[in-house]
Amino acid sequence: MTCAEFQAVLPYIIDNGGNAEQQEHLRNCEVCSGLVNDLKYIAEQAKLLVPMMEPPKKVWDGIKTSLEQEGLVKDSARGSLLSSSARTRWGPSNWLLPIAAALLVAVGLFYYHNNIAERQAPTEANSAMAGDTANVAGSSATAVQSASMGNEQDRQILSEIASHAPSLSQAYQEDLQRVNAYIADAQGIVARNPDDEDSRQALMEAYQQKAMLYNMAMRHSLP
Amino acid sequence: MRPEKGELTQAKKTLVPGLTEADAIDRAKRGDAESFEALYGMHKRRVYSLCLRMTGNTAEAEDLTQEAFLQLYRKIATFRGESAFSTWLHRLAVNVVLMHLRKKGLPEVSLEESLEPQEDGPKKDIGARDNVLAGSIDRVNLERAIESLPPGYRIIFVLHDIEGYEHNEIAEIMGCSIGNSKSQLHKARMKLRDLLKTSRAEKATRN
Repeated sequence: MTCAEFQAVLPYIIDNGGNAEQQEHLRNCEVCSGLVNDLKYIAEQAKLLVPMMEPPKKVWDGIKTSLEQEGLVKDSARGSLLSSSARTRWGPSNWLLPIAAALLVAVGLFYYHNNIAERQAPTEANSAMAGDTANVAGSSATAVQSASMGNEQDRQILSEIASHAPSLSQAYQEDLQRVNAYIADAQGIVARNPDDEDSRQALMEAYQQKAMLYNMAMRHSLP
Repeated sequence: MRPEKGELTQAKKTLVPGLTEADAIDRAKRGDAESFEALYGMHKRRVYSLCLRMTGNTAEAEDLTQEAFLQLYRKIATFRGESAFSTWLHRLAVNVVLMHLRKKGLPEVSLEESLEPQEDGPKKDIGARDNVLAGSIDRVNLERAIESLPPGYRIIFVLHDIEGYEHNEIAEIMGCSIGNSKSQLHKARMKLRDLLKTSRAEKATRN
């Protein structure tokens, strides 16, 4: 066997040693045995390379920012959405705030499905008109219900923000006004277009935005 | 795949006092930020080193490390503990890097291997006597030489010789045959041998 023949098959036999003829050549050929020793030595040294490169801090900063934006993390320093310290500081009535946020979404869902149920009832045009009126009335009642709940909780949120994060007070006030206007607009559109899926979806999203605003306010007002 | 050197069993690994890796994984599944950070701290070097060695580019390695951990956190709820967490994370990181390289135009391993010497291919050693390398490589030079490898060679070398993947695993990951994986690895090692000998010769000349 020549060196050329041996080295042509070397990639496929280096781990298992090859057949008898190949092993014979390896024993007797200084060039090929030197080559095999070098290649094995390189592989062995590579195994010893430790993962010693440290990523810069900005890598973790980027990860953390993305996790928060995607809502994948809750800050464990503050525990769950409502820590025991917040519960103590806020008092027994104020721990209802996250529940209020959830209720907002629930009201939105009720409103959403209420419209669907009422639309399924009418059989005649007049009935349809009556149904529309009922829809509007129903939606108004629901809107008043959610609005009154929202107003009280809005006042509570703004009060807490003013106490514990006054620099954010103005921003939260404006954000609440915007999201309340968004909810009111969405309610109006749904009332006028009860068949419009997009409108109902927009109303749901409006309630969800307000719930998110409440959650953010909670975090900002915690120590 | 070869387990991480000196690795404790998953349950026993302690990241911070009172927090084992298993606890951190459970808590991370529930969105606990501290646990996310603890897992990152434990695995960041290995993931970053893998990305850096496979890409040879610091900026890309940083972006890919970030992406690998983000994917980890998005998918952590699906981790069932059937394999070691580090193995699972490692495979995820490799896939992130390979997807990135494919988008960039990764040189595909050819299905028909040419036996003709390529422009950047290693020199054949037939009939030439030369000094052996054994005992003369330091890891800094080896890392530099690996960085100098053409991307196709470098990926196979990193996956097999550094990260411990078997040829059948590499073939599956790269979409090539086992024979091609072996051939490319051989070429990578031959190229490294040339680079290391050149480096050693230059050093001897300077001295």
